Amino acid sequence: MATVRFDNITFRYGNNTVLDNFSLEVDSGKIVCLVGPSGCGKTTLVRALLGLIKPETGTITVGDRVLFDAKKRINVPADKRNIGIVFQDYAVWPHMTVVENVSYPLKKQRRPKDEIKKRAMHALEQVHMTEYANHLPNQLSGGQQQRVAIARALVVDSDVLVMDEPITNLDAKLREEMLLEIRMIQNRLNATILYITHDQQSALQLCDKMAIMEPDGSLCQYGTDEEVILRPANRFTFEFIGVSNFLPLIKENGQLMLDCGEKIPYTDPVAEEAKNGGYDLGVRPNDIIFDPQSPLKAKVDSRVFLGSEYNYFLTLGQKQVRVQQSMLDARTKGTVNEGETIGIRLLNARFYPTQKGGAQA
Amino acid sequence: MKKIGGVSADLAAVDGRKRLNMDKTMTVICFILLLIIVVIPIVMIIYNAFFNEGKLEVEMFVEQVTDKKNLDAMWNTLQIAVFTTILGTIMGVFYAWLLGRSDIPAKGLMRALFNIPYMFPPFLGAMAWDMMFNGRSGYINKFLREIFHLSSMPININSIWGIVFVEVSYYFPFVFMQVVSALERMDPTLEESARIAGARQRQVIWKITLPLVKPAISAGALLILTTSLAHFGVPAILGYAKRIYTLPTRIYAVIYNSGGSFDGIRQGAALSVMLVIVVSAALILQNRILSAGSYDIIKGKSMRPTLIKLRGAKIPLFLLAILTLVMIVIVPLVMIILISFLKAYGLPLKFENFTLDQYRTVFAMNGTMESIRNSLFVSITAGVICMFLGTLVAYVVQKIRPKGKGALEVISMLPYAIPGTVLSIGVILAWSGRIAGINLYNTIWIILVAYLARYLSFSMKTSSAALLQVHSSLEEASWVCGASHTESLADITLPLIRPAMVSGFFLIFLPAMREVTTSILLYGPHTRTLGVQIYTLRDAGMIPQAAALATVAIGIIIILNTIVTKLTKDRKGV
Repeated sequence: MATVRFDNITFRYGNNTVLDNFSLEVDSGKIVCLVGPSGCGKTTLVRALLGLIKPETGTITVGDRVLFDAKKRINVPADKRNIGIVFQDYAVWPHMTVVENVSYPLKKQRRPKDEIKKRAMHALEQVHMTEYANHLPNQLSGGQQQRVAIARALVVDSDVLVMDEPITNLDAKLREEMLLEIRMIQNRLNATILYITHDQQSALQLCDKMAIMEPDGSLCQYGTDEEVILRPANRFTFEFIGVSNFLPLIKENGQLMLDCGEKIPYTDPVAEEAKNGGYDLGVRPNDIIFDPQSPLKAKVDSRVFLGSEYNYFLTLGQKQVRVQQSMLDARTKGTVNEGETIGIRLLNARFYPTQKGGAQA
Repeated sequence: MKKIGGVSADLAAVDGRKRLNMDKTMTVICFILLLIIVVIPIVMIIYNAFFNEGKLEVEMFVEQVTDKKNLDAMWNTLQIAVFTTILGTIMGVFYAWLLGRSDIPAKGLMRALFNIPYMFPPFLGAMAWDMMFNGRSGYINKFLREIFHLSSMPININSIWGIVFVEVSYYFPFVFMQVVSALERMDPTLEESARIAGARQRQVIWKITLPLVKPAISAGALLILTTSLAHFGVPAILGYAKRIYTLPTRIYAVIYNSGGSFDGIRQGAALSVMLVIVVSAALILQNRILSAGSYDIIKGKSMRPTLIKLRGAKIPLFLLAILTLVMIVIVPLVMIILISFLKAYGLPLKFENFTLDQYRTVFAMNGTMESIRNSLFVSITAGVICMFLGTLVAYVVQKIRPKGKGALEVISMLPYAIPGTVLSIGVILAWSGRIAGINLYNTIWIILVAYLARYLSFSMKTSSAALLQVHSSLEEASWVCGASHTESLADITLPLIRPAMVSGFFLIFLPAMREVTTSILLYGPHTRTLGVQIYTLRDAGMIPQAAALATVAIGIIIILNTIVTKLTKDRKGV
């Protein structure tokens, strides 16, 4: 297993720059989730790694093997890169049986027949698909095809395993199962896995480390999931990972105010740089707590029970604010009813310079 | 971590150069083959129409174009094509709607039956109708005259209208098949919402259904138009007796009368240019009238449309559909078979006049078995070569996408719009010794070359459609799995489009088996095709013998078609 390094990768489709001097290092034997909104260049990066497209600049190395180097004019063709891939649409070949699909990479390595058979069956075992070995893909469900694609990627000892949104097409329960499965496979093989997704939930569940990409294709944060959640590098990460409320903070007559249609004095401590207003206060729904003593009063518009938590929409001034109350909190402190006006307190608030064109809700 | 090849191997593979080379080779091969098969014959026609022995000479062209006979032929061609297109389109749309959208009984069976006219060789149909309604000797004509004591024959099929009638009978399926499948794929909620919005049934048909299937109607009508403009068989069989010529039959006559001399062929080339101009004008006109928009609302998924209740009209309309089929399929078929048993043409259709001698005579003739062999040989060979070449062109256009891909596509589709007769002349001009000393004249190979040009677009279209279905990630996955470009093609792409390639083959093989338009100008003493043999037998007045061979030909077509349906069905099951 090996470390994957992208250095200064630039790629353009015509005049549209998808990746601009992009660099990222994926640690050996880790699951790294590359998370970003649709169209930010995640798949482009994967295609560059696989050798399906050729970047303008930069280098790509896996371990100590250079796969691509624009300056030295090195470009290992796709079939010699030794990278396992699970495509978004599975790309399971419809005219081959499950076992033929899985054996294919070994056949291309000209392995002896009995070895191919043994290893293919072993790969199928790992994804619990042995009983379907002789089925054709159109006889399988989406989730089963998915697992065939994973087995096909596992069957050779690839240096890296890339998974491009592999579970988006599965139902919620199967998605959970597959995530666990991927985690277990990784534990067993100690593989380096680059997992591409736009869904932060599955990323949080799976990854050792997360790389957050901005819509413009730049890398904005790379760290463990805790770091990303607890110390988001910028407003984009904060907004993209998880749900968030933003309240504009202004200064009037020497007094800090929340500008929620009507101006409400804000007395809690703020970050140093936000002392003079012109900042947006960001707060997670589960960081807002009910406190009758608080001077910050809001009206409860709706309350929805979601099984493990309560979801409220409050009106603060004229702005809507989302609040999540955990079951534990609801049990110990009680819930609030629709129509009630209640004091709230904003914990773990973050401050980001107000964006041009006004703050967003 | 293992090293494969190391740096030196990596350097050799800079830019995936190997892959590029193969792509380039395929692209170049495509261009060269299309140049030989399609471009050279067309260029030769234009050149020879205006140049003689290297010098510009337009007198001959002007003379031909202003010749009254040729102008009449052009006018006839236009009339026949326009009326055939209009009537065929109306008929096709009507039956498509009836079978696709109404609650007419026995729908599945009717759909199958309505495909038969498509397989029925039009010139055999013309032969049968001529036997029945010939202005002088038609059997039914004679019968009607006797019953009603008429002074002259009641119906004369040897007229423009007769030709239009026969062409409509066998060409309306072009529109019918296109529209039926469009109707089936149309989202029924579109019609339902119009009903809910308060439109009456008739308004829904006119304002919603028809406009939505307009692209399909337009495509089918275009096919009728170009086929009719270029068609030789029907006007030749029905028109010659009354000296009604169309451009294709006129071209044949000019060349035939000159005994195949170079001057005759040059005159033919001039007429060909005329025909191509007429076809292009018709295409432009058709484009104006039925400018085809594309609608995304027609979905690929099949859904159950709401059927319109015909109520009282159900049984009459059902009978009308049955009657149509009987008229255009059963009656001609029976007629041909009956005549094939006659001792001599003109004898009453009575049992004592029947014999099997005609079959014996036909098969005792030198040319007959030869013509069947020839047809089988050129059809199979053309089918196989086109299948591979068409797939190659489709692959280059769809997957490799080189710079000249637009040109490639246009060139390969060109013969689709260029009449078979014209193509034949181009092939004669190109391959009878004038280029690099290659002389294929009077050999079977010249027919093969013409068939390749004529049918290449068929297989290219089917392969193209199939390749579009093969998502690029399937190929990419195989590369990542360690397959080279060639291996990926052999292991993944070709197996996936194999069914389409096979059906592309039959799409060429079946029409090629009964072809006359192209081969009538190209056949030599020993290279008659089945169609040519039937045509010349009939032309020589051996009508019962021609009918006997026609019966055999229809038998062969039916058998082959059954095999095709079986084969293609089995493929789908996988």
